[in-house]
Amino acid sequence: MGEDRHSILPAEIADPAAAEGPAAAQRLFVRRIDALPDLVAFTAAFFERHGIDRELLLAVDFAIEELFTNMVKYGGSAAPVEVRLAPIPGGIEVRLTERDSTAFDVTHAPDADVTLPASRREPGGLGLHLTRRLLDTIEYDYSPDRRESRIIFRKTGSPGRGGA
Amino acid sequence: MMKIESGGDGVVIVAGRLDAAQAPAAQAFLDGVQGTVTLDASRLEYISSAGLGVLLKTQKRLLGSGGKLRLAGVGKHVRDIFVYSGFDQIFEIEPAD
Repeated sequence: MGEDRHSILPAEIADPAAAEGPAAAQRLFVRRIDALPDLVAFTAAFFERHGIDRELLLAVDFAIEELFTNMVKYGGSAAPVEVRLAPIPGGIEVRLTERDSTAFDVTHAPDADVTLPASRREPGGLGLHLTRRLLDTIEYDYSPDRRESRIIFRKTGSPGRGGA
Repeated sequence: MMKIESGGDGVVIVAGRLDAAQAPAAQAFLDGVQGTVTLDASRLEYISSAGLGVLLKTQKRLLGSGGKLRLAGVGKHVRDIFVYSGFDQIFEIEPAD
């Protein structure tokens, strides 16, 4: 993370006082793809601090990246994205809050057809398909009054849904 | 961070995290390969859908000219992602173990 980026707009805005619960951590991330390294570092540090099973980390990174990049690409807003992490028994709960947004229920996005041969497949469309399979649960809520989307997912050591 | 480089003899070595931030650099490198290429993924820690898109675009291009992209040294995370996405049916994959 370079000095120049910080001088224009911080990619990460610490906001620990806003976190709910003594063990939760919450930060605002600028809605840009190049904020991903800051997100990865934030999540890795939280895993380390709370002794969360690192076997879960890559799946959590994957889900956060896919949901965050969707907000960057399709959110239609410049408002930062709030990411809140909280330990739960055997794993982690993650909440992403997108303000000044339109509704898009990620839990009802169509699955990709993963049986097609290479000649009939195009890049894209796999992010949410895979995210849903790597997690234990994922929920979506939209408040039209506040124009706020909220996604909450949980990942524990229990087997994921896999190809289900 | 992600590093991608030629390993000689039709081998490309990729290491680190192939995510949305790194996908353009990986695509730019792989756009320059020809024929049958083995991607040594033994040091690839992480791949997201953006990385999958890079590999699919490369595979389609190489298959169209009689070549292909195959993967070697694939670890658990990458293999899980490949299975869930059906990419295990599109690429020859040699597991790490």
